[in-house]
Amino acid sequence: MQLYPEQQKTADESPLHPLDLLIIVGYLALITFVGLRLAGRVRSARDFFLAGRTLSWWVIGLSIIGTNIGANSYVGAAGNAFTIGIAQANFEWIGAIPAMIIAALVFIPLYWKAGVYSIPEYLGLRYNQTVRVVAALITSVVAVFAIGVALWAIALTLQTYLGWPIWVGITVTGTIVGAYSIAGGLAAVAFTDMFQVCIMFLGGLVIVGLGISQTGGFSGFVETLISENPNHLQAYLPADHESYPWPGVIFGLGLVLSPAYWWAGQAILQRSLGARTQWDASAGMMFAAFGKIFVPLLIVFPGLLALVMHAQIEYPDMALPWIIKNVLPPGISGLMFIAIIAALQSTIDSSVNSTSLMLTRDVRHVLIKNADPANDLKIGRLLTLFLLLLSMCTAPLVAEMGGIFTFLQTILSLFQGPMLALLILGAFTRRATPQAGLWTLISGVIVASATSYAGVNMLYVAFSSFIYALIALWVLSGVTPPHPDKDLSHLTYSPWSRS
Amino acid sequence: MDLANLPLEWANYLSIFGFLCLFALVWFIPRHAVFEDAPDQSRWRDIRLWASLLIVLQLVIYAVFN
Repeated sequence: MQLYPEQQKTADESPLHPLDLLIIVGYLALITFVGLRLAGRVRSARDFFLAGRTLSWWVIGLSIIGTNIGANSYVGAAGNAFTIGIAQANFEWIGAIPAMIIAALVFIPLYWKAGVYSIPEYLGLRYNQTVRVVAALITSVVAVFAIGVALWAIALTLQTYLGWPIWVGITVTGTIVGAYSIAGGLAAVAFTDMFQVCIMFLGGLVIVGLGISQTGGFSGFVETLISENPNHLQAYLPADHESYPWPGVIFGLGLVLSPAYWWAGQAILQRSLGARTQWDASAGMMFAAFGKIFVPLLIVFPGLLALVMHAQIEYPDMALPWIIKNVLPPGISGLMFIAIIAALQSTIDSSVNSTSLMLTRDVRHVLIKNADPANDLKIGRLLTLFLLLLSMCTAPLVAEMGGIFTFLQTILSLFQGPMLALLILGAFTRRATPQAGLWTLISGVIVASATSYAGVNMLYVAFSSFIYALIALWVLSGVTPPHPDKDLSHLTYSPWSRS
Repeated sequence: MDLANLPLEWANYLSIFGFLCLFALVWFIPRHAVFEDAPDQSRWRDIRLWASLLIVLQLVIYAVFN
């Protein structure tokens, strides 16, 4: 079906239907209620940061998906799909699922056996405390800006649909997320994430159903798409593609960036460390991988649908808002609106909780010699509040200084190749030494920066810095003092020996 | 070697090869490691089976969007 320009609704038309408003208010009340109900369970730092190690596999799995789908996923992925087609789904498939399988079978059992609260804590045990603090600080600084971006994106969405001023949107969102995150900790975050993911999938399925029916059924949709955009159903783009060349996707995304995200991302793995058993932790990640197979239906399909329906949009990122306004009936558009809000909220609450954990334990415990672990709960809650307030203040700045956020994201991506090399050699061999780990991390970031400065595609930068770091760590470990603990069995992966 | 000149079909061959290697890795992990802490030893709790199903689904997806 083609909507002619005069039939298509613009952003200023389509006032919110009372049914939409009812759904939105109901959602916000439900999320706040569920989050606050779990507050009574928090009596210690372990309860706050790891949900008292009570989470079951299906809660963990849904929460991982909720944390993973963020602001960029919903709006940016639909926009990219509008431009490059199904190749965008590589970020959910080959750029996620293999790494998630290995995370479930190898890294989660490893962290579980080490008994750590965080990935920087594992790196601290496996290498030294400097590596732990550096890893925690870089991740935390980037997280503050990432939370700011998500708050800004929610405020923009609220302004578009409800006409709220930006500062009202930021304050309301910050207050709601803060209320349940500070009171209920990881348990509240995980359970609210679970609701949010269900809403996201429901909204996504409705778009798929209505979209397919409005374009003449599945065969009509595919025929129109292929006849007008023959390459839009190809999973890989040519090797000379400017942004997503297939060698970069397989080697850079599949072998480096994705493993670094799924094996070392604190916001993702924290709910796994909060599982009631090691089996629940691993099964939760595997369950999330099943969910990831269907995520392109939520975030890639709308971009393709906008293309098939000949959306008159100024730039690709308008694809999803266009679909919501032109495809969904009243009531359902409210559902999709809260699906976007839910995606952003679940990213914010997870980032706030994991950053608070890293600052409380990985930075404070190392830098302040007499830090009392008994105060971790109080400090963790105060830091959660502080991080939210800081992000609320930085949200408008992030929008004006997008360059700074891009810069910080680049720093994080420069860090991921060397970090992954440290994790892999640290987990699978006893050869990697503390000093070699630190120097590899520092020199690896320098090598990645130089390659990036030379104008090389980021996917290739990630791969080359990873290869450099693997070699450097191996060589340097041969000439530096070994780890003081000769028995590294609790810090290395060796399932073939029952210890 | 200029990466920009690599043929597009190689992407599919490499993907299939990668998924088959992953399949082998999954079944290289011993059973007791997979059932660590598991409430019972039911067959469905063997997450190597979950992983295998995921890999098959991925192979099908990449074959369809070839």
